[in-house]
Amino acid sequence: MNAKQVQKFVVSYLDSTGCQLIEKSPSHVTVKLSPDADRALTNRPYYWSFVDRTGSEPETMTYRWSFESPSMADRAAASPISYIMTESGRIVQEDVYFGSRRLLQLFEASQQGGRCVTLFEEPPRGRMDPLGSQPYTAWLGVNFKVGYECDMKREELYGWGISLATGVINEKFMDTLRDKRLTPRLPSNVHLLRNGLSLRKGMTQLEQTMERKLKNGDFSWAVEAEGRRQDELERIRNYYEPMLDSMGHPDQKEQRDALSVRFSQREAEIDWQYRPKVIVTVMNCGIFHLPGIH
Amino acid sequence: MQIPFTSPAGTTPGAASSDTPPATETFPPLESEKQTVAPFKSPASLSPDPAPRKLHPLVEMHVDRGAFEELERRVERNGPWDDWSLYQLGLEAEEASLVSDFHALRCLSLLPHFEPLPHQVDTARKVLHEMRGRAILADEVGLGKTIEAGLILKEYLIRGLVRKVLILVPASLVLQWVRELNGKFDIPAVAQKKAYTWSNDIVVASMDTAKREPHREMLLNEEFDLIIVDEAHKLKNKRTGNYQFINELRKKYCLLLTATPVQNDLTELYNLITLLKPGQLGGEGDFAANFVADRRVPKNEAKLHEALGQVMIRNRRSDGGVEFTKRVVTNVPLRLSPDEMALYEGVTDYVRKHATAENGDLTSMLSLVTLQREVCSSRDAVFLTLINLFKKTTEDSPLRARIWELVELIKSIKANTKAEKTIELIRSINDKVIVFTEYRATQEYLMKFFKEHDISAIPYRGGMNRGKKDWMMDLFRRRAQVMIATEAGGEGINLQFCHHVINFDLPWNPMRVEQRIGRVHRLGQTEDVQIFNLCTLGTIEEHIVHLLHEKINMFELVIGELDEIIQQFEKEDSIERRLAQLVLESADGEELRQRIDGLGDTLLAAKNQFQRENEP
Repeated sequence: MNAKQVQKFVVSYLDSTGCQLIEKSPSHVTVKLSPDADRALTNRPYYWSFVDRTGSEPETMTYRWSFESPSMADRAAASPISYIMTESGRIVQEDVYFGSRRLLQLFEASQQGGRCVTLFEEPPRGRMDPLGSQPYTAWLGVNFKVGYECDMKREELYGWGISLATGVINEKFMDTLRDKRLTPRLPSNVHLLRNGLSLRKGMTQLEQTMERKLKNGDFSWAVEAEGRRQDELERIRNYYEPMLDSMGHPDQKEQRDALSVRFSQREAEIDWQYRPKVIVTVMNCGIFHLPGIH
Repeated sequence: MQIPFTSPAGTTPGAASSDTPPATETFPPLESEKQTVAPFKSPASLSPDPAPRKLHPLVEMHVDRGAFEELERRVERNGPWDDWSLYQLGLEAEEASLVSDFHALRCLSLLPHFEPLPHQVDTARKVLHEMRGRAILADEVGLGKTIEAGLILKEYLIRGLVRKVLILVPASLVLQWVRELNGKFDIPAVAQKKAYTWSNDIVVASMDTAKREPHREMLLNEEFDLIIVDEAHKLKNKRTGNYQFINELRKKYCLLLTATPVQNDLTELYNLITLLKPGQLGGEGDFAANFVADRRVPKNEAKLHEALGQVMIRNRRSDGGVEFTKRVVTNVPLRLSPDEMALYEGVTDYVRKHATAENGDLTSMLSLVTLQREVCSSRDAVFLTLINLFKKTTEDSPLRARIWELVELIKSIKANTKAEKTIELIRSINDKVIVFTEYRATQEYLMKFFKEHDISAIPYRGGMNRGKKDWMMDLFRRRAQVMIATEAGGEGINLQFCHHVINFDLPWNPMRVEQRIGRVHRLGQTEDVQIFNLCTLGTIEEHIVHLLHEKINMFELVIGELDEIIQQFEKEDSIERRLAQLVLESADGEELRQRIDGLGDTLLAAKNQFQRENEP
């Protein structure tokens, strides 16, 4: 993400949480947070529980976020928190760049704030027959993250959807949504098709399809990781087993027990470190009602 | 099962059933699927991962469907629903932070302000991809082991392979580690303060605290994705508590940092490696038989190097690629005022006479030599010691009168030649300066003296707590011109923003002189470093400066060379003790000079031998 993309992301977040932009330039924004954004970003649980309990008017924070990444020298010289006082109050100044804590937090806040949706596509304007009714199909849209993990890791994202009417799966579902105009309210002159699949069945089918797809993937990484795991196991066996064998005497029982505890701890650590696995995580998901019968 | 969210008016019940699904390759026929699919268990038992499935004989697939379960709950309660643009932003965030391949160093793109040196990046790569996260980082002093560890930690954090981290360092370095990780790497590390601090994901703590109850118990019950141990040569003996403790901790990845993997004995190295990877060098007996010729002399070197290369990285300055700025050393010779000289002579005389009376009790003899050194620093330093001596002697001791005479001599001293010279130097430098002294009393005197002359100075010493040390460093960076530090304060502080050092007095141990300079002259220093040694003529100080500066030329040694030379040299007795012995045994200045020269020659030989051994 370059500075421009970062800025676009931040401004979108602020817009969608209803924050009030006070000032904006290509390199910075000054913003008074909305209560929602303040709760998500400022880490003031005590303040907010105070506001909630007393019902007093909340005073949200104001930030000036600069999008150019600072040089090392600037960072060394800057104190951890810098702010300027203005007539309307205190403005906290921060650098927001790809890798900064604040951006990371904005990432997390948007992931947390955009987990589950139910949306309807707006019917095309003008061509509506005021008396007719357009059929809408419900889709379960799921964004999966697939992590391939051993002592190393890589990830893939899949934005899939399944029609709850028919069970059709669209592997480009998230992409097709991006161009659509979606609204949380049911549009008029629209009727929803009866679902043939329960939500849960839809999910199961998505997972099974994912499983089949992943089965056809390349597993050389896992074979290599397993090779490393076996190497490591052999190495510690060669180390511990002769020692354990030499402790045959009853007097050495205590010592021997301690050593075999150590041995199995090492084995467990090697397993933990190397055993290959795939973890599929549902990042976010929603029910999308789209026109047409699919 | 009927889905609760489809009930708006206008639904035509027959519409869906009359439609046949279009055939797609990925879509399985509904009816047959029904039988083969193991149905979800009851909702209550739905854990994030009900039943791992095999994708491959070696690989299981685990599913975390947390967000989906939340969707189901919200459907039942009919909301609330999240915002569509946040939904998209969340995905965008995910895309931006996605780790798309196994090997690239993602952390570099996330640290735009920070340019690690090529050897540091290489080291990080090697640890991640070849050593699989268990390694000894054994770079020579000053090449940035901390930075290498930071890069590795950052990369693992980004990749989600590491969450829980324990960093164990000497107490004096805790805050510095926290600051580096936060400032340079944007890693939210915290310093361990109270027992509850352990619940943080990334904790920096001192080894001594961590291994004590109740902390020990808590840590042994945890599982750490990564453990980093700084100054890991303290783990060289496997019978010590430190070693046992690290050995028992449950860990996935582990980094041990040390500049001196072998100090006395090859078994030390063996122990360190066994901590990381038991069996890497074979069993204990195998190791001794295969690789050890003598305590410090390995055999089968090529094979040993190969085995070591899989767990240890040692970058050397001689490998090139790292440029240090120069050190410019200036000796500032001074003549003591007649009053000061009288005191020096008086003390020297007292020491000589008294030393013979001590009859070879070396410890009390050493404290006598300290008196002589203190006179060279300030009258305040020697005054305190004399008073203490006075209190220790019995009332009828003939020594009392002698000591009191010396105290009287102190009273007649009105000015401190060295302090005046120092002010002159500071004024001509007209920039930030660190003044080092060995003595607390001298430090306090200088604070007062500088204040009288309108020079802003702050003190720094080992006895200060962490917070105060930090505050002092910060004051020095932002406000004060001068920092007056005692030796103890010299450890673990980085002051690259300053490049003038005044040695108000010199320690006798060259390593400690090096530590002083090392605070300033290290990676990140952009200027040549100016070092001034104040040296009072006609005193033992002159001999020491002669030894350190002219004879072994220690100030111009490559950083890190010195520690190895001194270690070689000190196998028998410490340099400080040897020097003290020479001082006491010599009849006069001329003899002392000759004998110190002799000591210098021995050091020189050690140095030459070291340099020969390290030639490429």
